[in-house]
Amino acid sequence: MNALRTALLVEALVWRRATVQRLATPLLVTLVPVTSVGMTALARSGAAGGAGAAKLADYATGDIATTHLLVAGQILSVAVLMAGGFGVAAGFGQPLADGRAGAAFGLATPREALALARALVVLGWLAACVVGAVALTVGASAAVAASMSAPFGSSAWEAAGRALAAGLLGAGLVLPFAAVATATRSALATIGTLIGVVALTQLVVLVGAGAWFPYAVPSLWTGTGGPAAAAAIGGPALALTAAVAPAAAALVVVQWRRLTDV
Amino acid sequence: MPDALLLDDVRHTFGGRRHGARPALSGLSLAVAPGEVVAMIGLNGAGKTTALRALAGRLRPAEGRARVLGHDPARLPVAAARRFGHVVGAALVDPALTVTENLRVAARLHGLPPRAVDGAVSSVVDLLDLASWAHARARTLSLGNAQRLGIACAVVHGPDALVLDEPTSALDPRGVVLVRELVRDRAANGAAVLVSSHHLDEVARVADRVLAVHDGRVVGTLQPGEADLERRFFALVLEADARLATRRAA
Repeated sequence: MNALRTALLVEALVWRRATVQRLATPLLVTLVPVTSVGMTALARSGAAGGAGAAKLADYATGDIATTHLLVAGQILSVAVLMAGGFGVAAGFGQPLADGRAGAAFGLATPREALALARALVVLGWLAACVVGAVALTVGASAAVAASMSAPFGSSAWEAAGRALAAGLLGAGLVLPFAAVATATRSALATIGTLIGVVALTQLVVLVGAGAWFPYAVPSLWTGTGGPAAAAAIGGPALALTAAVAPAAAALVVVQWRRLTDV
Repeated sequence: MPDALLLDDVRHTFGGRRHGARPALSGLSLAVAPGEVVAMIGLNGAGKTTALRALAGRLRPAEGRARVLGHDPARLPVAAARRFGHVVGAALVDPALTVTENLRVAARLHGLPPRAVDGAVSSVVDLLDLASWAHARARTLSLGNAQRLGIACAVVHGPDALVLDEPTSALDPRGVVLVRELVRDRAANGAAVLVSSHHLDEVARVADRVLAVHDGRVVGTLQPGEADLERRFFALVLEADARLATRRAA
């Protein structure tokens, strides 16, 4: 436990200084509310045309605050995965690619404790970003609703809760990429895999199997595929998605314990 | 007294049994006792760094035995790890942290209790003359200062077994003297130190024993005081090559 505490302190400091974190934090926290409110406003303005208008049609009607938060959940479920994917690619792949990971051998704090701490720190950072983004969206949405004398009622709070949960589920889906980074020892290969998984998710959703594919679940659950697809996401699918993070964390620990030729 | 650092008949080939794979280590054996400084010299590709990686636990050799303070370095118990330090290739340095932060992190990861960290960091900053860069980010350091920081991170906890790969390769003459004094000081305090180098003059000054490594094995021992060390080293290399050629011909 002492080793993990030390590792957490060290990894938190390192992550605070990491370029990926410094770039991604403001993007995640500010772009989500800005985009949610902006897209909803655009959908209701009638200014959007062509394919864009069709995509925005779902946001053009209904309670405005609820719509803001539904959009926030949909954006978060993907944005968190992308930001976190880049984060673990840098945090796990880069030190293995440039040999710095070799210095983690022979320490009183075992390398697997460092790896677990790194995964937990990235997870904690993403969770904080999700909370921040949802809180800002709630604030912005409440302000917009008040200015239009529209309500910010229970359905908006329910959508906020779902956005928060979807963001947290998306954060957990990042950890398998730490295992990919460890296996490939390459940040670029990890990012390539991340892009591949996002593309695969689109295909899986297209053929109608998204309800059981963890990488599709958060997005579908927040309504990306429409109300029917959201309703098809049940407790077991959410539980399966939530189980990805601990399983991946355990795999990363085993990988780092067995690591050799570094 | 048991050897603090030991490689016993260690063999390893990168690429396994693939056709054309060349052994990096071909039965390399060495031992370093507490209080002793042993230097490995050899040509590029002789196997020095691979041997040091096996001792640091970074490489599990296919055959043979590596031991640090009596333990397998790949699974070093915490008590032994607290007494071990190494710089083989990249050091325990994060480029985004300052010199002081890196040293504090290294001290904690090497198992120093929080109350002992400040004293240890201050001491090693003085020892390796890093005070002027204490608040500089590691990524902004010159190659030589970065190398001194890497060594500082490996010794901040006062290890009893120390492995350093080419520790003076990027250092100016003053840095070389600082590292030489540090190595001798660690040995005077009972530490076993194993260094690798290309510089015969330097190893002659710092080591108690010099091992000539060639073709993945130790081919002879040189005494640092002996005359014309360079000629003796090349003679050992040529003898080893001749022995190998004879074996292959037979």
